[in-house]
Amino acid sequence: MENSGLNFILQAAFWGTVALTVAGAAIAIFPKNILYNVLGLALALTGIAGFYLFLGSLFVALMQLLIYVGAICIAIVFAIMLSRPLHIEAPARPTGKVLLGILASVVFFVGAVGVALKTKWTPAAGHVYKASQWSVEHVGDALLTRYELVFEVISLVLLVAIIGAVITAGFSRRISS
Amino acid sequence: MNSLTTYLIISALLFSLGLLGILQRRNLIGMLISVELLLNAANLNFMAYNRFVSPDPVTGQVITLFVMGLAAAEAAIGLSIILALYRKMHSINIEAAQKMKG
Amino acid sequence: MGALFRDPVLFATVLGTNLPFLSMAVILLFTRSKPFVSSRISVCSIAVSAVCAVSLLVRLFSAPALQYQTLWFSSDKLNITFGYYLDPLSLLMLTIVGIIACLVQIYSLGYMAGDPGYSRYYAFQSLFAWAMMNMVIAGSMLQLFIFWEMVGLASYFLIGFYYEKWSASQAGKKAFVMNRVGDVGFFLGLILLLIAFGNLGIPELNHAAVTHGLPQGLLTVSSLLIFCGVIGKSAQFPLLTWLPDAMEGPTPVSALLHSATMVAAGVYMFSRIFPFFSASPDTMAVALAIGTVTMLLSSTMAMVTYDLKQVWAYSTVSQLGYMVMALASGGYVAGVFHLTTHAGFKALLFLTSGIFIHEFHTNDMRIIGKKGGRKLKIPMVCMAIGALALSGVFPFSGFFSKEAILTVLASQPSKIWYAAGLFGAVLTAYYSFRLIFHILLPKGGIEEAHHEEHGASSHEHEEGHHGYIFWTMAVPVMILAGVSLVLGFTEHTLEHFLMRSIQVPGELVAPAAHAVSVAAHVAAGGAHHAHEAGSPLLTILGVSAGLLGIAIAWFEYGRKGASRNGFLSYFPAIWKLFDCRWFLDIFYRKGLDTLVYAGLTSLFTKNDRRVIDGGIDGICVFTEGSGRLFSFLQSGMLQFNLLLMVLGAGAAVLYFVI
Repeated sequence: MENSGLNFILQAAFWGTVALTVAGAAIAIFPKNILYNVLGLALALTGIAGFYLFLGSLFVALMQLLIYVGAICIAIVFAIMLSRPLHIEAPARPTGKVLLGILASVVFFVGAVGVALKTKWTPAAGHVYKASQWSVEHVGDALLTRYELVFEVISLVLLVAIIGAVITAGFSRRISS
Repeated sequence: MNSLTTYLIISALLFSLGLLGILQRRNLIGMLISVELLLNAANLNFMAYNRFVSPDPVTGQVITLFVMGLAAAEAAIGLSIILALYRKMHSINIEAAQKMKG
Repeated sequence: MGALFRDPVLFATVLGTNLPFLSMAVILLFTRSKPFVSSRISVCSIAVSAVCAVSLLVRLFSAPALQYQTLWFSSDKLNITFGYYLDPLSLLMLTIVGIIACLVQIYSLGYMAGDPGYSRYYAFQSLFAWAMMNMVIAGSMLQLFIFWEMVGLASYFLIGFYYEKWSASQAGKKAFVMNRVGDVGFFLGLILLLIAFGNLGIPELNHAAVTHGLPQGLLTVSSLLIFCGVIGKSAQFPLLTWLPDAMEGPTPVSALLHSATMVAAGVYMFSRIFPFFSASPDTMAVALAIGTVTMLLSSTMAMVTYDLKQVWAYSTVSQLGYMVMALASGGYVAGVFHLTTHAGFKALLFLTSGIFIHEFHTNDMRIIGKKGGRKLKIPMVCMAIGALALSGVFPFSGFFSKEAILTVLASQPSKIWYAAGLFGAVLTAYYSFRLIFHILLPKGGIEEAHHEEHGASSHEHEEGHHGYIFWTMAVPVMILAGVSLVLGFTEHTLEHFLMRSIQVPGELVAPAAHAVSVAAHVAAGGAHHAHEAGSPLLTILGVSAGLLGIAIAWFEYGRKGASRNGFLSYFPAIWKLFDCRWFLDIFYRKGLDTLVYAGLTSLFTKNDRRVIDGGIDGICVFTEGSGRLFSFLQSGMLQFNLLLMVLGAGAAVLYFVI
């Protein structure tokens, strides 16, 4: 870019976000304490929101923070508090299972990276990058015109999910009591 | 390093971590957390493609929003299932849930 | 459609032949629970059909043969036409069928009254009438075959009409199966012709046979195969035992189907493609032998049975044998003429028998005689007329046609056929008058007491004699008796009428006159013979044969102090032989047992048990085992399954990337 100082700061911030995200993901996976996992997930999700900012979409980044970090992580914390006494120790992890899991993940990672590197990515014919086109107005316009049906269906899915969650949780309580 | 490949590798890394979590965690809530990671990795991919190659600047964002909505629904259902399961078996260990064994 | 209404002949044909089908459909669909309505619908439609048939006969009496046809389907060299062929023969047969079916249906109004299956009966009668009329006017052999099978179906329904009766349903099956045996041959013959000739139109077939359009070998093989159909339908020698069993059906059915019209279909088909048959001398020889054997065998069977209907059934078979003999020796006119007269007097005989059976509720002629059968004067006289016609006594119709046949037979080089014919005539007269005398002059007189014992029932009879039921039965009988009296005198008219259709091929081959023109000459000559050269001696011989038979019957059953046992009772072995139908049925049963039940069926059973059942069991065992095997995968460990899935997907990605 034109300003190398700003560029350097941007680069540093980007890699910082990368480190944040990967660290958060690792915390979300490895510790045995489930509460640490949730905190790690929140960290990773925040990092991803940062990526969205780097990609130029403030709106989606805000949504990420709002929905994921704000709602889903809190819901998970609630579930933890409702379900599991924290002091109960989980049995040790079987080594074979861990090794197999690592193998599968590595296979997938290698495959995915291979695809990403080997493919020659070229922008599509009509591709332009203008910050104005990434604005909330455009997203809202698309949601209410082209993707209106999907939008409605998503809201319906959410409604069904809420009712289903209430019934699943509520009925089982009645059955067990 | 603002290139498509960087984002793709980052999302692949996130996805592999999520996969690892799903495969070796026995805590159902831990698995749910891993699923969230997987979804986010996919979202990141969509956004990156949208930024670098897509002809239409809106589609990727809209898809990401939809996936978020679906993730919310999934979390709600998944958590209520976990709760129900916990009441039934007094455990949220996945290895305890083997009633469907063939 | 326009042509249908503009052409009165076509209109009458279509209307007359298809109205019965309409009535059957209406009866089966709407009026099954209303017997009165059903029977009137059926009778009205068949009456219209009969009127159409008669008017067609009158209108086309001196017209050339008419042919309506349309292409049904065609493929490569194959042309299947659908249409009507109205020549003298089909018009004559159409009239016979229409009139007799009409009379029998009127008769059935009384005979079947009160039967629970009244509507069903009329539906089947209509079905039969439709199929038979369409068969008669069919323009191609394939069309003829289709309706031929429909006729067989109607016959099956009507024989098994009293399906609650075990023997009736068995008889229906027997008739059906035996007919199919013949029809297989018929159908094979048709296919052979279709492959070799590519056209099954009746006029084309006859024309080709006459003009040597067909190779001799093909002609012989296909005509022999087609003759199998005649054997099945007309109950000729190897397949003759179904017809007597078919008497399990209601008596009017026996009169209509199993004597007058349906069984004559075989003979009709023979004469329909007569030039075709006569182009093959070998087939004609086989047919002649079969006809003779049939005629003699069934006459002997008729000599020993006491069942009224059985006697007429055997007699039908033997008369059909006569017709086949006549046709096979070239007597086209004689055969068709006998077919016509026989339809009249045999229907008459069956219908009068029906009156007796209806009155006395038994088929045994001895019991009918004892209970006072001769008191029913009208049927008794009519039956005597029928029997005289059957025996070939002068003023009655049978005399003329039998003379014609005997004359044709006498013109054959070998006199053995003529002798057989004469012998058959003696036997015919003997068994018919044996029956007449049994009823007329019963052994030990009439049991008057028997009648008075059942005052109520005799009172019922009194009513029956003069009531509606009796007259619906008596009127058709009297009409038929009248027809039997006068029909014989139409011989010359009929002959000229019929010869028109057969002369057509004759003219076509005029220069190299051969096979068929010879046959046509024989036919014409044979018929002329009867009244020209050599006729006095032959007539005397024929009449004396009939009279001889009557005299023997009188000697044994009629005169005072007669033994009433028959001379055959002195030879128990022969009596047994005749009574068991020459053991034909037993022979078939044994053959069926060994071939079908012991051989084929056991093979099929084994195949079913071992191969099919075993195979299915094997599949079951395999499925169960493999299911058990795969159920190990269903470990209940969610993460294990996921692991496999991810590994698989990852491996696929790696494979495609690297």
